Amino acid sequence: MVVAAGLEKKFGQFTAVDKISFKVNKGEIFGLLGENGAGKTTTLRMLSTMLKPTSGNAVLNGFDTQNEPEKVRANIGILFGGETGLYDRLTAAENIAYFGELNGMSKAAIRERSQHLAEAFGMQDFMDKRASKLSKGMKQKAAFARSIVHNPEIMLFDEPTSGLDVTASRDVQDFILDCKAEGKTIIFSSHSMSEVEKLCDRIGIIHKGKLVECGSVEELKKKYGNDDLEEIFVRLAGVR
Amino acid sequence: MKLKHVLTVFKKEVKDLIRDRRTIMSSILLPMILIPLLNIVMGGGIQKFEKDINENVSIALSQTSDTPEINGLVTERILAKNGNIVLVDADDPSKALENDEIRCILDFEDGYVQKLKDGKPVTITLQYDESKTKSRTAADIVSSAIDEFESEIVRERLAAKGIDLDIMNPFEIQLQNVAPNQKGNNMMLEMMLPLMISMLVAVGGIPAATDLVAGEKEHNTFEPLLTTMPDRGSLLLGKYFAVTLFSFVSVAAILAGLVFGYLLNPNSLTMGVDSQVYGYEIDPLAAVLALIITIALGMTFSGIQIALSTIAKSYKEAQTYLSFLMLGSMVPAYATMFMQASDLSPVMFTLPILNTIAAFKMILGGNIIYSNLFIALVASVVFVALTLWFAASIFKKEKVLFRS
Repeated sequence: MVVAAGLEKKFGQFTAVDKISFKVNKGEIFGLLGENGAGKTTTLRMLSTMLKPTSGNAVLNGFDTQNEPEKVRANIGILFGGETGLYDRLTAAENIAYFGELNGMSKAAIRERSQHLAEAFGMQDFMDKRASKLSKGMKQKAAFARSIVHNPEIMLFDEPTSGLDVTASRDVQDFILDCKAEGKTIIFSSHSMSEVEKLCDRIGIIHKGKLVECGSVEELKKKYGNDDLEEIFVRLAGVR
Repeated sequence: MKLKHVLTVFKKEVKDLIRDRRTIMSSILLPMILIPLLNIVMGGGIQKFEKDINENVSIALSQTSDTPEINGLVTERILAKNGNIVLVDADDPSKALENDEIRCILDFEDGYVQKLKDGKPVTITLQYDESKTKSRTAADIVSSAIDEFESEIVRERLAAKGIDLDIMNPFEIQLQNVAPNQKGNNMMLEMMLPLMISMLVAVGGIPAATDLVAGEKEHNTFEPLLTTMPDRGSLLLGKYFAVTLFSFVSVAAILAGLVFGYLLNPNSLTMGVDSQVYGYEIDPLAAVLALIITIALGMTFSGIQIALSTIAKSYKEAQTYLSFLMLGSMVPAYATMFMQASDLSPVMFTLPILNTIAAFKMILGGNIIYSNLFIALVASVVFVALTLWFAASIFKKEKVLFRS
């Protein structure tokens, strides 16, 4: 479970995230929907302890981001959009093992988990190939495996389909649904209405750092009397 | 901070760097081959130049002095004992000097034969080109030859008057070298080794430092790394030790290259200028202290390099910052290049980079003052701590880490 309570982040005079609060239950997919620069990435960075909140706090799986950042990080997996962020000179297996080791896994546990993930993602043929030699699709699978090698309870996805083609986006979406099926708590940021609508149990609309609305897609549609999520978003964000 | 995490990061970074052809080329292979090659080529060039300067001194007589008598006098009395000076025929000596066909022109004043007979001074004008090293050196060589000729004439005149020749030598100078055996005449080594060590340590870690933080940012691997369990101090230290290791691997590669160059051509170590390197007896304690001071210098540079690489947004930006650091390290290295052990002031042992240079110069000079070496050591440890603290504070700065 993830609980964000009054999370605020200021960069000098600029408020990137303005005291937002939300709760994500175990096994739930929560979508953070907003335009570029709305504060989605900053929120995810605070949740993953990369950034310290100016005020407020978040608790992930019972661990406080302010006081127990190491334990928080041990409980999260993260996947970014665009580049997969693999080390080109390491093999797929080494990339996965490195993150396993950093997250406190034993060598035997890493070996076992890597085998399992290689089978799950169909990576057996290229586990020992350097990342630089892998195709985009192979890299993506390796990045999926790396993000969950330590079997985290919580997954954070920061615009994971950004810049991807249809097939690759589909793979990411399937991966997110697989994580949900495994009972993981998922926070997913996106500016794609259709994607959010398709994947999320609940969404939070974030605009200029403020969480302007929060609820399930159905609840929002009902509340605003509109079947088009995009219309609701535009109305709430005051765009146009 | 956990040692296990530091070690995990360190091992991964070393593995990653070893596989990077660019780092291996610029940190190990290139300096290993290039530096000794440069020394051999430069040494050979210097030796050839010196040989050419001293052995092929071509001179001509001025048009007014180009007579059979003067020709004979110069050939028989001046050049006979100086085989390195050659008298050549030149239709236009001034043009020949300008075109580097000759190095000097000798001009005897009119009536020199009578003046010599009368025992009066004869003016010999030596024309040379001050802007040309070869001509300038040739003028010195020919002057010495004329001096010898002059002494000969004085001796002949004194002998003709029956005066004892000893009157010419009121003093007899005897040179006695009192330097201990281990203090060889290796000025070139004293000049070059501290300079090379300090500069190589400064540049050795640059490719690794650039790759390990700025490179990670550019390849989008940095943020996923920051979301793993280890705290930033552990990540930093792992990277820091990898950079330090690579700066020393680079220095070791160059030193191995120098040894290889020495085996191929012993003069390469001193670029053929000085005597060969031999007879050094360095106290083991001094050697160990010098090694620790050098390691500390490497760690100091690693701290700064990691910090600059963290500040940089991209690989290119990091390279720019680090090239400034490299240029900065060259200033003290070159400023003290001609300084000898006897010129070192105690303050030098307390200043960054200079303390390492001073320690090496003092050890190579042979007069080791251990209190100064210990001061250099303490100063080095302080610099390591300060730069590491600086790197750590930069590495924890959100504004720097997430610059975009």
